[in-house]
Amino acid sequence: MDDPRAARLVETALRCYPARWRHRHGEEAAELAALLIRDGTPAGSVARSYLAGAAREWLTPRPGRRLTAVACALLVAACSLGVSAGLLASAGPARAASTSQPRGHAQCWAGPPWPVPVVTRPTSRPQAIIWEAGHGRPC
Amino acid sequence: MNGRNDGAGQDVLRRVGEASVLILISLADGPKHGYALIQDIKELAGVELGPGTLYGALDRLERLGLIDPLPAEDRRHPYRITAPGAAALRVHLDSLERVSAAGRLRLRLGGI
Repeated sequence: MDDPRAARLVETALRCYPARWRHRHGEEAAELAALLIRDGTPAGSVARSYLAGAAREWLTPRPGRRLTAVACALLVAACSLGVSAGLLASAGPARAASTSQPRGHAQCWAGPPWPVPVVTRPTSRPQAIIWEAGHGRPC
Repeated sequence: MNGRNDGAGQDVLRRVGEASVLILISLADGPKHGYALIQDIKELAGVELGPGTLYGALDRLERLGLIDPLPAEDRRHPYRITAPGAAALRVHLDSLERVSAAGRLRLRLGGI
Protein backbone atom coordinates (compact mmCIF):
# COMPACT_ATOMS: atom_id res chain seq x y z
CA MET A 1 0.00 0.00 0.00
CA ASP A 2 1.52 3.31 -1.09
CA ASP A 3 -0.51 5.47 1.28
CA PRO A 4 0.79 4.90 4.82
CA ARG A 5 -2.44 6.19 6.30
CA ALA A 6 -4.50 3.62 4.37
CA ALA A 7 -2.04 0.90 5.41
CA ARG A 8 -2.38 1.93 9.06
CA LEU A 9 -6.16 1.92 8.83
CA VAL A 10 -6.29 -1.59 7.36
CA GLU A 11 -3.62 -2.81 9.80
CA THR A 12 -5.72 -1.54 12.71
CA ALA A 13 -8.78 -3.34 11.38
CA LEU A 14 -6.86 -6.58 10.88
CA ARG A 15 -5.55 -6.41 14.45
CA CYS A 16 -9.16 -6.77 15.64
CA TYR A 17 -9.33 -10.37 14.39
CA PRO A 18 -8.52 -13.27 16.70
CA ALA A 19 -4.85 -14.35 16.64
CA ARG A 20 -5.78 -17.69 15.08
CA TRP A 21 -7.46 -15.90 12.15
CA ARG A 22 -4.55 -13.46 11.75
CA HIS A 23 -2.09 -16.33 11.72
CA ARG A 24 -4.04 -18.02 8.94
CA HIS A 25 -5.29 -15.13 6.78
CA GLY A 26 -3.43 -12.05 8.04
CA GLU A 27 -0.74 -11.72 5.36
CA GLU A 28 -3.07 -12.58 2.51
CA ALA A 29 -5.73 -10.22 3.86
CA ALA A 30 -3.23 -7.34 3.97
CA GLU A 31 -2.15 -8.09 0.41
CA LEU A 32 -5.76 -8.33 -0.75
CA ALA A 33 -6.50 -4.95 0.87
CA ALA A 34 -3.51 -3.42 -0.94
CA LEU A 35 -4.76 -4.79 -4.28
CA LEU A 36 -8.30 -3.54 -3.71
CA ILE A 37 -7.07 -0.08 -2.69
CA ARG A 38 -4.82 -0.01 -5.75
CA ASP A 39 -7.92 -0.79 -7.86
CA GLY A 40 -9.71 2.23 -6.40
CA THR A 41 -11.64 0.81 -3.43
CA PRO A 42 -11.51 3.40 -0.62
CA ALA A 43 -9.26 2.32 2.27
CA GLY A 44 -12.03 3.22 4.72
CA SER A 45 -14.41 0.84 3.02
CA VAL A 46 -11.86 -2.00 3.11
CA ALA A 47 -11.14 -1.32 6.79
CA ARG A 48 -14.87 -1.21 7.62
CA SER A 49 -15.39 -4.56 5.91
CA TYR A 50 -12.54 -6.09 7.93
CA LEU A 51 -13.89 -4.58 11.17
CA ALA A 52 -17.32 -6.06 10.53
CA GLY A 53 -15.68 -9.36 9.65
CA ALA A 54 -13.66 -9.27 12.89
CA ALA A 55 -16.81 -8.65 14.94
CA ARG A 56 -18.53 -11.59 13.20
CA GLU A 57 -15.46 -13.75 13.75
CA TRP A 58 -15.49 -13.07 17.49
CA LEU A 59 -19.25 -13.57 17.73
CA THR A 60 -19.21 -16.91 15.92
CA PRO A 61 -19.34 -19.59 18.62
CA ARG A 62 -16.20 -21.72 18.76
CA PRO A 63 -15.41 -24.51 21.19
CA GLY A 64 -13.28 -23.28 24.08
CA ARG A 65 -13.86 -19.56 23.59
CA ARG A 66 -15.01 -17.82 26.75
CA LEU A 67 -17.60 -15.08 26.97
CA THR A 68 -15.12 -12.67 28.60
CA ALA A 69 -12.77 -13.05 25.65
CA VAL A 70 -15.63 -12.21 23.31
CA ALA A 71 -16.58 -9.16 25.41
CA CYS A 72 -12.96 -7.93 25.44
CA ALA A 73 -12.70 -8.41 21.69
CA LEU A 74 -15.88 -6.43 21.12
CA LEU A 75 -14.52 -3.64 23.29
CA VAL A 76 -11.26 -3.57 21.32
CA ALA A 77 -13.20 -3.59 18.04
CA ALA A 78 -15.39 -0.71 19.23
CA CYS A 79 -12.31 1.30 20.26
CA SER A 80 -10.64 0.59 16.93
CA LEU A 81 -13.77 1.76 15.14
CA GLY A 82 -13.47 5.06 17.00
CA VAL A 83 -9.80 5.35 16.04
CA SER A 84 -10.61 4.49 12.42
CA ALA A 85 -13.39 7.07 12.34
CA GLY A 86 -10.93 9.62 13.70
CA LEU A 87 -8.37 8.69 11.04
CA LEU A 88 -11.01 8.97 8.33
CA ALA A 89 -12.05 12.39 9.59
CA SER A 90 -8.47 13.62 9.58
CA ALA A 91 -7.94 12.14 6.09
CA GLY A 92 -10.63 14.34 4.49
CA PRO A 93 -8.74 17.36 3.12
CA ALA A 94 -11.98 19.25 2.50
CA ARG A 95 -12.95 18.87 6.12
CA ALA A 96 -9.51 19.84 7.30
CA ALA A 97 -9.41 22.93 5.08
CA SER A 98 -12.93 24.12 5.80
CA THR A 99 -13.30 26.61 8.62
CA SER A 100 -16.92 27.63 8.04
CA GLN A 101 -18.97 24.46 8.40
CA PRO A 102 -22.72 24.75 8.99
CA ARG A 103 -23.61 24.73 12.65
CA GLY A 104 -25.39 21.35 12.50
CA HIS A 105 -22.35 19.64 11.00
CA ALA A 106 -19.71 21.23 13.17
CA GLN A 107 -19.17 18.10 15.26
CA CYS A 108 -19.34 15.40 12.58
CA TRP A 109 -17.08 12.50 13.57
CA ALA A 110 -15.54 14.56 16.30
CA GLY A 111 -15.72 11.63 18.65
CA PRO A 112 -16.99 8.10 19.13
CA PRO A 113 -20.69 7.37 18.51
CA TRP A 114 -21.26 6.22 22.10
CA PRO A 115 -21.67 8.32 25.27
CA VAL A 116 -18.38 9.48 26.76
CA PRO A 117 -17.83 10.38 30.40
CA VAL A 118 -16.92 13.98 31.21
CA VAL A 119 -15.49 14.58 34.68
CA THR A 120 -16.35 17.91 36.28
CA ARG A 121 -14.79 19.22 39.47
CA PRO A 122 -17.12 21.77 41.06
CA THR A 123 -15.57 23.52 44.03
CA SER A 124 -18.34 22.97 46.57
CA ARG A 125 -19.70 19.58 45.47
CA PRO A 126 -18.26 16.08 45.22
CA GLN A 127 -16.85 15.03 41.87
CA ALA A 128 -19.56 14.24 39.30
CA ILE A 129 -19.45 12.25 36.08
CA ILE A 130 -21.81 13.36 33.33
CA TRP A 131 -22.43 11.03 30.37
CA GLU A 132 -22.62 13.11 27.24
CA ALA A 133 -24.03 11.90 23.93
CA GLY A 134 -21.39 10.94 21.38
CA HIS A 135 -20.57 13.26 18.49
CA GLY A 136 -19.79 10.62 15.92
CA ARG A 137 -22.93 11.00 13.87
CA PRO A 138 -22.55 11.00 10.09
CA CYS A 139 -22.72 14.28 8.17
CA MET B 1 -17.40 -35.36 9.40
CA ASN B 2 -19.26 -33.51 12.04
CA GLY B 3 -21.15 -30.46 10.83
CA ARG B 4 -20.39 -31.20 7.22
CA ASN B 5 -22.72 -31.51 4.25
CA ASP B 6 -24.20 -34.98 4.51
CA GLY B 7 -25.23 -35.38 0.91
CA ALA B 8 -27.53 -34.38 -1.88
CA GLY B 9 -31.22 -33.62 -1.50
CA GLN B 10 -31.13 -31.09 1.31
CA ASP B 11 -30.49 -27.44 0.43
CA VAL B 12 -27.69 -26.72 2.91
CA LEU B 13 -26.94 -23.40 1.19
CA ARG B 14 -30.35 -21.95 2.01
CA ARG B 15 -29.05 -20.32 5.18
CA VAL B 16 -25.42 -19.59 4.40
CA GLY B 17 -25.98 -16.25 2.69
CA GLU B 18 -25.59 -14.86 -0.80
CA ALA B 19 -21.83 -14.35 -0.51
CA SER B 20 -21.22 -18.05 0.14
CA VAL B 21 -23.37 -19.08 -2.81
CA LEU B 22 -21.58 -16.63 -5.11
CA ILE B 23 -18.20 -17.97 -3.94
CA LEU B 24 -19.26 -21.54 -4.72
CA ILE B 25 -20.50 -20.48 -8.16
CA SER B 26 -17.20 -18.71 -8.80
CA LEU B 27 -15.20 -21.78 -7.70
CA ALA B 28 -17.32 -24.09 -9.86
CA ASP B 29 -15.05 -23.55 -12.89
CA GLY B 30 -11.75 -23.93 -11.03
CA PRO B 31 -9.74 -22.94 -7.94
CA LYS B 32 -9.28 -19.25 -7.12
CA HIS B 33 -7.72 -17.13 -4.37
CA GLY B 34 -9.35 -14.18 -2.60
CA TYR B 35 -8.60 -11.39 -5.05
CA ALA B 36 -9.58 -13.51 -8.07
CA LEU B 37 -12.84 -14.45 -6.31
CA ILE B 38 -13.73 -10.80 -5.67
CA GLN B 39 -13.00 -9.86 -9.29
CA ASP B 40 -14.88 -12.85 -10.71
CA ILE B 41 -17.96 -12.27 -8.54
CA LYS B 42 -17.97 -8.60 -9.51
CA GLU B 43 -18.03 -9.61 -13.20
CA LEU B 44 -20.40 -12.52 -12.71
CA ALA B 45 -23.06 -10.96 -10.51
CA GLY B 46 -22.22 -7.26 -10.24
CA VAL B 47 -21.70 -7.74 -6.51
CA GLU B 48 -18.64 -6.23 -4.81
CA LEU B 49 -17.78 -8.53 -1.93
CA GLY B 50 -15.99 -6.80 0.93
CA PRO B 51 -12.79 -8.60 1.98
CA GLY B 52 -14.18 -9.16 5.49
CA THR B 53 -17.30 -10.75 4.07
CA LEU B 54 -15.17 -12.89 1.74
CA TYR B 55 -13.01 -14.40 4.49
CA GLY B 56 -16.05 -14.99 6.74
CA ALA B 57 -17.80 -16.87 3.94
CA LEU B 58 -14.66 -18.85 3.01
CA ASP B 59 -14.20 -19.98 6.62
CA ARG B 60 -17.88 -20.97 6.88
CA LEU B 61 -17.79 -22.94 3.60
CA GLU B 62 -14.60 -24.68 4.69
CA ARG B 63 -16.12 -25.64 8.05
CA LEU B 64 -19.09 -27.10 6.15
CA GLY B 65 -16.72 -29.12 3.96
CA LEU B 66 -17.98 -27.40 0.81
CA ILE B 67 -14.57 -25.97 -0.18
CA ASP B 68 -10.97 -26.99 0.44
CA PRO B 69 -7.91 -24.76 0.77
CA LEU B 70 -5.08 -25.63 -1.60
CA PRO B 71 -1.38 -25.20 -0.78
CA ALA B 72 -0.46 -21.50 -0.60
CA GLU B 73 1.02 -19.82 -3.66
CA ASP B 74 3.27 -17.09 -2.31
CA ARG B 75 0.98 -15.48 0.30
CA ARG B 76 -2.25 -16.39 -1.50
CA HIS B 77 -4.37 -19.36 -0.53
CA PRO B 78 -6.41 -20.71 -3.42
CA TYR B 79 -9.61 -22.63 -2.67
CA ARG B 80 -11.39 -25.31 -4.65
CA ILE B 81 -14.95 -26.56 -4.48
CA THR B 82 -15.33 -30.08 -3.03
CA ALA B 83 -17.66 -32.81 -4.34
CA PRO B 84 -20.19 -32.13 -1.52
CA GLY B 85 -19.86 -28.42 -2.34
CA ALA B 86 -20.69 -29.01 -5.99
CA ALA B 87 -23.64 -31.21 -5.02
CA ALA B 88 -24.93 -28.60 -2.56
CA LEU B 89 -24.60 -25.86 -5.19
CA ARG B 90 -26.53 -27.96 -7.72
CA VAL B 91 -29.35 -28.55 -5.21
CA HIS B 92 -29.46 -24.85 -4.32
CA LEU B 93 -29.51 -23.69 -7.96
CA ASP B 94 -32.29 -26.21 -8.76
CA SER B 95 -34.27 -24.84 -5.83
CA LEU B 96 -33.73 -21.26 -7.03
CA GLU B 97 -34.86 -22.26 -10.53
CA ARG B 98 -38.08 -23.78 -9.18
CA VAL B 99 -38.83 -20.65 -7.14
CA SER B 100 -37.97 -18.43 -10.09
CA ALA B 101 -40.26 -20.40 -12.43
CA ALA B 102 -43.09 -20.28 -9.91
CA GLY B 103 -42.61 -16.53 -9.51
CA ARG B 104 -42.70 -15.92 -13.26
CA LEU B 105 -45.81 -18.10 -13.61
CA ARG B 106 -47.59 -16.16 -10.87
CA LEU B 107 -46.65 -12.87 -12.47
CA ARG B 108 -48.16 -14.10 -15.76
CA LEU B 109 -51.30 -15.38 -14.00
CA GLY B 110 -51.63 -12.11 -12.16
CA GLY B 111 -51.32 -10.19 -15.43
CA ILE B 112 -48.58 -7.99 -14.00
